[in-house]
This record gives sequence, C-alpha cells and structure tokens, in this order.
Amino acid sequence: MSRVLVIGNGAAGLFSSWLLARKGQEVVLVGRGTPSTSMSTGCIRTRPEGCEREMAEFLVNEHMPWAVGARAGLSKIGTPFRCWMAPSHSTWKYGEAPGSVTVVSIEGHPAIHVRIASSLLIAQGIRAEHLSLPIAVPPEVPLTAAFRSEGSWELLAKALRTTSSDAVLLPAMVPLREYGRLDALERQCGRKVLEAVTPLGPPGLRLTELMHARAAGAGVTIWDGRRVTALDIKGDTVRGATVSGGSEVKEVATDAAVIATGGPLVDGLNIKGRELDDPFGVFQVARSTDALRGGYASREGMMVRVDGRRMANAVAAGDCVYSERRDHGSGLAGALDSARMAVMALEGA
Amino acid sequence: MRKDVLIIGGGATGAGIARDLALRGVDCLLLDMGDFCHGASGGNHGLLHSGGRYVVKDPGSAAECAVENTVLKRIAPFCIEDTGGLFVSLPEDDPLFADRFKDACRSTGVPTEEIGAEEATSSEPGLNPLAVRCFRVPDGSVDPFSLVQANICDAREAGALALNHCAVTGMTVEDGRIVRVDVQDRRGRLSSPIVPEVVVNASGAWVADVAGLAACTARAGLDQGSMLVTYGRQCRHVINRLREPSNGDIAVPSHTSTVLGTTSRPARSPDDSAVTREDVDFLLRETSALLPSLRGCRIVRAYGGVRPLLGGNGREASRSFSITRGDAVDNLVSVAGGKLTTYRLMAEKVSDTVCDMLGNSSGCRTHLEALGPPADVEGGSIALARLRRKYGRMASSISTSDTRVICSCEQVLRSEVTAVLKTGDALTLADVMRRTRAGMGYCQGLDCTLSVLELMMQGAKMDPLLALREFLREREHGISQASGDQLRQGLLREHVLNGVYGMGEME
Repeated sequence: MSRVLVIGNGAAGLFSSWLLARKGQEVVLVGRGTPSTSMSTGCIRTRPEGCEREMAEFLVNEHMPWAVGARAGLSKIGTPFRCWMAPSHSTWKYGEAPGSVTVVSIEGHPAIHVRIASSLLIAQGIRAEHLSLPIAVPPEVPLTAAFRSEGSWELLAKALRTTSSDAVLLPAMVPLREYGRLDALERQCGRKVLEAVTPLGPPGLRLTELMHARAAGAGVTIWDGRRVTALDIKGDTVRGATVSGGSEVKEVATDAAVIATGGPLVDGLNIKGRELDDPFGVFQVARSTDALRGGYASREGMMVRVDGRRMANAVAAGDCVYSERRDHGSGLAGALDSARMAVMALEGA
Repeated sequence: MRKDVLIIGGGATGAGIARDLALRGVDCLLLDMGDFCHGASGGNHGLLHSGGRYVVKDPGSAAECAVENTVLKRIAPFCIEDTGGLFVSLPEDDPLFADRFKDACRSTGVPTEEIGAEEATSSEPGLNPLAVRCFRVPDGSVDPFSLVQANICDAREAGALALNHCAVTGMTVEDGRIVRVDVQDRRGRLSSPIVPEVVVNASGAWVADVAGLAACTARAGLDQGSMLVTYGRQCRHVINRLREPSNGDIAVPSHTSTVLGTTSRPARSPDDSAVTREDVDFLLRETSALLPSLRGCRIVRAYGGVRPLLGGNGREASRSFSITRGDAVDNLVSVAGGKLTTYRLMAEKVSDTVCDMLGNSSGCRTHLEALGPPADVEGGSIALARLRRKYGRMASSISTSDTRVICSCEQVLRSEVTAVLKTGDALTLADVMRRTRAGMGYCQGLDCTLSVLELMMQGAKMDPLLALREFLREREHGISQASGDQLRQGLLREHVLNGVYGMGEME
C-alpha cells in the first residue's frame, strides 16, 4: 500500500480521496477549507461523463436523498435552476413544475427575497403567494439557529396549513443531520417542500458536509485547516510536502500527489494581472483568454513541470485543471469527472 | 405648468442654480433626464481643487477655484474632507516648472507653501522618496453626490421643484421665445408641458443637444476622462504631480478608496465614457510613480466621465465657463464648461443673468448660507458623523439604532436605504447607490443589490429582473478591465449571477 497526498478539500479533493481509499491506498487529505463545493450550490448542473455510478454511490446518504435525472429548482430569487443530480428537496423532476408556490420569509432575515422571488415566479407563469413567519431572527444569527426548536417547526407547519399552493419555497435552514425534518414537513403539509438554491449557502454547504463524512468513512486521514506551502520534488517525482497550519509546520513524505486546489475562483491558482499562475511555482499552467478555463497543463494525465518535464506521480483534479468546456455552474460535475480521471491516471502510473 | 425658470440638467451646476434662484425667491423647476448627478458631476475625481492644477496654464480658472475652495469649505464642510493637497515633482520632471508654479500661485491667489521632501514624506508616508520639490495646497476631497443632493434639498426647502428621470423632449419657439417645453416623466408626475419665462440649459455634456431643441447652438468640446478606484485609502492628501497638467497626475482619497486619474481623449458623444485597458495600465503606471504602493494595489473599478469643455479639446481647453444667451431665442441661457469646484460660482453668474431677465433684484446668498450641518457637531456619535458626511441634514432622519448592514463592502445600513427610498427620488438601484454608496464597494453590488431591491419593491411595483440587469450591467462596465483579485471577484460575480441565479438564461 502506498501513500497519496491529496491537496485541496473541495469536491475534487474529497471525491478523489474517497476513490483512492476504496482502492486500498493510504490517503492524507490536506485542505485549508474553501467554500468551493458550496459555490457549486450542491446541485450537479451538467450530466457527468463517466462516473455517474461512482457519484451516485458516493452521494447516497440517508440524510440527504439524491435524485438523478433532469431536475429543476428555484434559486432564492425565484429564477429557475436546472440540474442533473440534486438533493431531492431542492428540486423537482424537470417538466413537472408546480403551478403555485408559497414563498416563505422570516421576519427581519435577509435569507430569502420574497418580493423579488414572487415577482419572478409570476413572470414564469407560476402563481406565488407570500407567507411571512412571525419568528424574529436577528440578522447576525444564522437561520438554522431559529429552527433548532420544535416550536419553530410546528409554527411553520401550522402556518403552511393556511396556504394552498402546490409547493413551498423555503429559505434553506436545515443542518444535514436534521434533513429528515423536510420529509416530516412534506408529510405534514401534504405538498412538495423546496429549498431555495443559494450561492455560498445550503444546500451546497450540506453537500460539503456529506462528502467530508463519506471520505472520512472510507478511511481518509483528513487534515482540515492546513495548507501545503511547498512541494518536495526531485526530478519528475513528488516526494513530500510542507504542511502548515495552526502553530506547526511539518514535512510529509508521499508516494504520489493529487493537486485539487481549485481554480482562480476559490483561490487555488494565483491571478497575476490577468494571467493564471501556479502558487507552488513548479507546474505549467495552460492559459486561456477566459481565466475560468485556464488551469494546470497535463500530458497523458500527469502534470507537467514548467521546464516541460512530465511528472511521474502527480496529477491534478478539479477546477484547477485546464478545461475548454467549463462554464458557470457546470463546475461540480466537471470537478468530479476530473477527479476520477486523475485517480485513473495515478493507477496507470 | 407655469414656471418662472426651467432648469434643464440636475448636475452640480443645475442643482446649484436651483438653490441659488430659490433662495432669491424665484419659482423654478429643475429637471434631469436621468438621476441627479448622472453625468460629469458624478463621473469625476471628487477633487476640491485649490486651483493649483491650473495656475500655470489656466490662471483664470485657478483663481476661480481658489475662491470657491474656501467658500465650499465654509458652506458645505459636511461633504468635504479637508485632506490638504501636495504638488510633488519627480527627478524626471522639468525642474523649472516648480518655480513657474510658485510664481503663478502667488499671482492667482492660490495659497501654497513649499516644504522639504523630508517633511512631505513624513506627512505622506507612501510618497515616492525620490520626490524633488513639494508644495502644500488646500486641495480637498469632496463627495459630489452629497454635494449635489444637499443643493437639491436646500432648493426644495426654499420652494423649488426638482424632478429626476424627467426628460425634455421638445421645445416650441414663437417670436424668438421658448413658449412651451414638452417633457417625458418616467414616473408620470408631470403630465402637462412647461410654460417657462426663462429656460436655463445646464445640461453639461448635453448642452448642444438641449440648445438644439430650440434651434440654438451651444458649444462644448466633449472630452472623455478615465479614473480608477482603488481598494482602501492609499494616501492621506490629494496628491498631484507637479508638472504641466497631463494624464495620470492625481490621486484623491475618497471615502473607503482612492480615486486615480485622469486621462483625456475627445469623446464622440456625451455617453462615450468607456475606459480602455490602456487607460487602466497608463493610470496605474503614472500614479504609481508618485505613490509606489499603487503598483500592487487592487483596482476595484474603472469609470469614465465626459467633460464639457470650453474652447478646444483636452488639456489645452480652459476649465473656466461661459454663459450664453440663445442666438435666436431670447429666453434661453446656456452654461458650459467649468469645474465641480466652481459649480457655485457658475450658478451665481447664471442666476444673476436670469434675475436680470426676470427683473428680480435680489442678490446671491449661496455663499453665505450653510448647505448642510457643520463639520463637527458636539456630542455626536461616530455613526452619526459618518452619516452626516453622506447625507448632510438628512442624516438626523436615519436611525442608527437599527444596526442591520445592507452593503457589507461599504458598511451601508439598511436604515440608510429606507430613508433614501422615503424621499421618493430613487427610481433605480443606481439611484440608491449614488445616495448611499451601496454597491460601490469591491463586490460591486453582488451582495447588497438583492436586499436593496427587495426593499425598493416594498414601496413600488417594478420588474426585478430588468432592474437587476440594468444595474449589474452598468457595474460590469467598471470591472470589465479588472485584473488580479478584482478579476477573481468578477469571475465569482459571473458565476453566481449566471450559474446560480441563471440570470443569463432568463432573457
């Protein structure tokens, strides 16, 4: 058994760690904790290319039921959101849009924009009605805090009885371990409960939570809140890395490395001026006129040094890999696909 | 609707004229086709000139600036930061220019004091240590939005009617007089044409277009200037390059940022304000010669304005102003040229002309009466002082007990937005931004826009998608040339708007 160091605890890092651990590798995952996976909203926008089965297996979890196939949901401003795989509570089967939606807001909380959402729903031909819950939430307190008590859920269920829409649009407010609440609420009010899709918030955060648990469950050693500051490279081989975090700096020896630090968006690649740059100062970056598409260059699946030499045991995964096809919102499927490719390349090496 | 005077253009000059005339008891109406301050009055540095910049080449304008500088500091201290200014020459600059500058300051009345390079760098630590000659001048930083807003508030209190988003669409001339002015009000408040005694054309870059409606000519050279907004304040004083006025000479600390400027090129139209990649590179290169820390500084936004200049284009044109009576029309007065710093003087001269025409003998009072609260009010809190700088007298109507922040980049309170909406002037998200700064920070409105819009929709029926698109597109112009961290911010913005909110797909 050999040791693989995975750098980056976003979607690609967690997924490749899990794949490697299942294949019997010793995996150490180092990540400084970025909002990468939550940026992807927790829904997989485009159809994954080759790892649908692995992804379904990876994502399956009793707390967060996933639905596969063409899905649609609503953002927190009421705009339509299309995707391929998603938490079932955030979306409906494409083509089966509700005819009417109750938009729920909580007094004083900016989590959902009721007037904007209602107006944009109406523009799409969906009847919207507005339900303001008489729960006062101070803006500095996360919404979940107000929903820790049974009372809040009862109040919500009771208030929903006064409405008659086909579906309910909720500001996302449930932690992963309490996801079953939404099922209970659906049963109680007898209709679909939708969670609004938001950037930088649930359900994306919940997906990160889930992925983290799956990787840990597969035996991956996870060092959160730490960053790799330098790589120990001899010739074409990564031999170790300097990991720093908290008050300690340590050297880690490794037999192979997966670089999954993310693209320019979540700070994995440096941006100098309008150009992308490798923060380690080691690897070749393929530039593109669109910074979103640029990223690490590769040859036969392996990373390439700035001097043109192909690495023997280093691969890149996720948004930091150069991609012609990446688009806004397609990042998550691409990241997971590329994690699978990276693991395959490492196995071949 | 009958009015003694119709003023077209709600920039600094128009707002100043409305205040001036209203204080003299003249019944006037001020109209702007967009928001107040949407033209060059908003698209400038916010530099309260001491006059120093023009002493050598344009002494007339320099003398005007010198006088108005002290007047404005006296009447409107709430929206002026008396930062002081420095004129600094570098080794590559013409060594004789400094002496010419010194003499010209003396003859134009611009107060200046030469200081040693050591004193200059100790009071302005970011200054290039190779600085050769340094002069202190009384430059300041002025918030043009609050200045114009204060003029409008004051004008209204004195009885003037001021409406934004109200465009003049046509004029009827009979026997050499404008007898009727047709308007189109975006909010339907004005339904009948205006019948004015006198029409004042204070439409800045649009001066020729408005005069054209009465078949008159008014000349202004249109000149585009680009500016950059940096993250954070990079200097304490207004920093000027001590050389003949040219491009990339000025850095002005303003609110949470520093404004760098400017460039100069002929503009094809009043809307031709686009900033190019070359402008951005040029401005950074030139201004960082004065303040080396600007080299690695994050540029939040680039923006442009179109200056209406007198006589010729670009740097050769005078910054002074002219007032002309319509060639074939008796009751049209056009004003062109000038500076933000001299807006009050321009307004005074125009108002004198108008009062002459109306047979009104009252004199100007705008230099005597305060435009807003005094700069330091005893016993006020820091929060209130901050609000006073933005809102002048209106600050007292904003609740500081509600601490909810709506724009985290610029730390704008939700109650500021509520108070602004209550005035009824803000029709668009950009209107709210001009008044509150919500959306001017480094995320350029990504975070606060939705919350502001939600509040706006409480009081008015509007199409949220249209409003969002209009605003975000305008902000996008400013970050299209972004690099480094601001490019990253731009990517995030696109990702959220198109990827999560699907706004690109909702066409």
